[in-house]
Amino acid sequence: MEDIAARIVQKATDLGCQDAVADVVVNRSYQIRFARNEAVISNRWRESTASVFVVHDKRVVASDIKDLSKTDEAVERLVKIAKASQRNPDYAGIAKGPFRHARTRPDPRVVSLAEGGKYVEAAIGGALDEGAKECAGSFWKYQDEHFLATSNGAEGHDLRAGLYLSIRALVSLESSGHGIACATKLSEFHPEKAGHKAGRISALARDPKPGKAGRYTVVFDPLIFGSITDQAAGRLSAWAVSAGLSPFGKKVGKRVASNQLTLYDDGSAESIARKRFDAEGIPTRRNLLINKGILKTYLHNTSTAKKFKARTTGNAGLIYPDAHAVFVKPGDRSRDEIFSEVKDGLWLTNTWYTRYQSYMTGDLSTIPRDGIFHIRKGEVAETWKDIRVTDNLLHLLQNIVALGDSPEQMMWWGEVSVPNFVPYALIKDVGITTSAK
Amino acid sequence: MDLVGFAVDYARSKGATYAEARLERQEPENFILKNGVLDALYVGHDAGIGVRVLANGALGFAATNSFAKSDIRAIVDDAIKIAKASRRKSKITFAQEDAITMNWSVPEERKLSDVPVEEKIEEIQSVDRDLMGLKYKIAARYFNLSDNRIDKYFANSEGSRIHSFSPRLRVFYFLTLLDGSNVEQTSRNYGWSGGWEGIRTWDLSKRVLEEARSMRRSLTEGKKSPEGKMDLVAGPQVAGIASHESCGHPTEADRVLGREASQAGKSFIPPEGVGMKVGSEIVTVVDDPLVEHAIAYYQTDDEGVKARRRYLYKEGRVTEFLHNRETAAALRTRSNGAARAVNYNVEAIVRMANTFVEPKDHSVEEMIEGVKFGVYMKSFMEWNIDDKRYNAKYAGREAYLIENGEVKHPVRNTIVELTTPTFWSAVDAVGKDLDFEAGFCGKSDPGQALDASLGGPTIRLRNVHLR
Repeated sequence: MEDIAARIVQKATDLGCQDAVADVVVNRSYQIRFARNEAVISNRWRESTASVFVVHDKRVVASDIKDLSKTDEAVERLVKIAKASQRNPDYAGIAKGPFRHARTRPDPRVVSLAEGGKYVEAAIGGALDEGAKECAGSFWKYQDEHFLATSNGAEGHDLRAGLYLSIRALVSLESSGHGIACATKLSEFHPEKAGHKAGRISALARDPKPGKAGRYTVVFDPLIFGSITDQAAGRLSAWAVSAGLSPFGKKVGKRVASNQLTLYDDGSAESIARKRFDAEGIPTRRNLLINKGILKTYLHNTSTAKKFKARTTGNAGLIYPDAHAVFVKPGDRSRDEIFSEVKDGLWLTNTWYTRYQSYMTGDLSTIPRDGIFHIRKGEVAETWKDIRVTDNLLHLLQNIVALGDSPEQMMWWGEVSVPNFVPYALIKDVGITTSAK
Repeated sequence: MDLVGFAVDYARSKGATYAEARLERQEPENFILKNGVLDALYVGHDAGIGVRVLANGALGFAATNSFAKSDIRAIVDDAIKIAKASRRKSKITFAQEDAITMNWSVPEERKLSDVPVEEKIEEIQSVDRDLMGLKYKIAARYFNLSDNRIDKYFANSEGSRIHSFSPRLRVFYFLTLLDGSNVEQTSRNYGWSGGWEGIRTWDLSKRVLEEARSMRRSLTEGKKSPEGKMDLVAGPQVAGIASHESCGHPTEADRVLGREASQAGKSFIPPEGVGMKVGSEIVTVVDDPLVEHAIAYYQTDDEGVKARRRYLYKEGRVTEFLHNRETAAALRTRSNGAARAVNYNVEAIVRMANTFVEPKDHSVEEMIEGVKFGVYMKSFMEWNIDDKRYNAKYAGREAYLIENGEVKHPVRNTIVELTTPTFWSAVDAVGKDLDFEAGFCGKSDPGQALDASLGGPTIRLRNVHLR
């Protein structure tokens, strides 16, 4: 496959392209979806795709080529289209290689894993043990192998593999909990723990009452705090900033969060999204994004870095920079200490459907789902339902009061789009609204 | 058609009780114009085959982008193996359907493939130039013109053989206007099934300029939206999103049955909920794949079932769920052709197509004249709904105060935060100005962001709480 990547780049160069990137990806992922306590479908993929990026006289064209037996013809078509396209004055090239990449390897037991039924059964069993009646979710074995070549001398090979399980446990329609298990090593994969957590929350969430609007101090469980940090990281892409899709514009060097929050992106660290290099072939690394509440940098590729007079952070995607994996520096509080600080507040465990009224100001709302609990004096006083967090991304970050000392790897169906390593978080003055009667 | 037939025959010979294969070729193009610069152009050449089988009462699906028979055999073997490994206690069955042979395509007056790249770029650049001619303070502007040509071959082990061709065109734009520290943002989305002629039906420049002018007016003249109980006149965009979110999604039978519980969620409507009252008698909401030129137009679904109009809510009551063959069997009914997949490499699941409030006979003027005090919300920006599809929120983008039957000044960020029955029960008038916008509907795992149309005429709600 490395031959195919090199051949694509060579062909593009021969046709007059200044820059070319080819990332041939061999996908061998496997999934079991389950619902009502048993598998509803199992999926397996055998795909090989070349993600290609060619630039002819600053005319940028990207593509995914599926027929790898006819890459020459495909590149010829792309270059023809590029020539007919328009120059992008903001385009500033790709990184100059060659690069040395970390010698990471996936767990061979994960790579050779052929069947995931017992992990699904373990998760469901854990939830049912806690009192849940109905479970649904997905087990994934992610596996993709990358062969990268660029016209600036970068070459790379990366076999990536990880295990993931997401489970929602329900006692009834309005009493549910969610659990996540992620691991790159088979020995560290614990779907039964995810099931127990989902089941425990679902059982605790029995007989919810309609919630009350107001402003509350809120304990964010790692899954929902991960959706907040995922929003932050996504809005820190330089592309989002320039498209008006971010509240972080013109805020580098300024306070955007409380001094409790230190946030970084690190594609090189162990996670189910670990990767040796970005789409330009640059070795992934740790990039400090927010340090004690102060914004340090956006996420960049070579072009956006030049536009923003910064250095690339090694976050190039095929077209735009984006986060690889997000890490929150842990705080110093135990989970119990975090809860003990809440005299009259809420504990939220999950959310979905985060939408903005203004991306530029950060005004948003998001809808908690699964267990929603009213906390008094650090204890669950009652279970709520039917509330909405109506607030502002910057306001939420600036009101982080305390962070837990035990981060967990979270990723979930769109809301947490890349792995976010997040602890429990305590955020004050969180706006809660409800449907009008 | 030979390859899908080969896959199905091979699956049956290897023990599948049912098998289907979909071979798809997609040719997407995506032009991204950001702040006046063609940021990137994406051109895809996508092709592959997916096979779904029933074996031992369980479903297995596998996909490859290789058309070599050895690779097709391999994915069939994969699908059967993983289906058998499921060890289900209850057996999945499919509702009975007749085998059909069809060859349908959406006509193009001017083929999308014949339109030069330069012309497509010029189309959005001319709109951008017109926009900049307004001399407004526009902090960011983003246009995305995309088209796709979807060629499908479908076969199943019951004898269906279907070929289809769907050309699709879409424009999405996102604008940010400033006035001092005040920000107004908008996003609009138009879709078309057919050829390049679709671009002329939108009169894009006029629409974008009207939107920008309304944003400017909202920034400079907009006042705080009133709070309390009052009437709401909601434009087609608002009626469309409400149809999609609180009528279409809760009537998806896979949700109702819990198959999507972990991701897209369940439904406030129980499996026995047909007949349940959810709105006033004037409310009828339909989902119809056969709306000509709507972006989710199709004649057969991805299980080879003929498409037809579905009445989701009729005269205020739940009338029909959206079904594929699996959910139809579970609820002892027939599929109504709602199974769709975003590409060859994912299973077909229950999806909406073109969902809208069925129009009646009121004019917008008549509806506004009948309001003593309220808000006319023409469009929205922020929206969301909970995973049982009961608590929805729509935040106004273009909205105006109504006093004594007259439209007054703009009001900003009107919030409609109501339950599904509260929203639909308050409707007392339905207009005749049916209009559609396009959307991407997200569901399933792996995620399938699928073409959908959301529409309706202007509707009037009485005595609802706004803020």
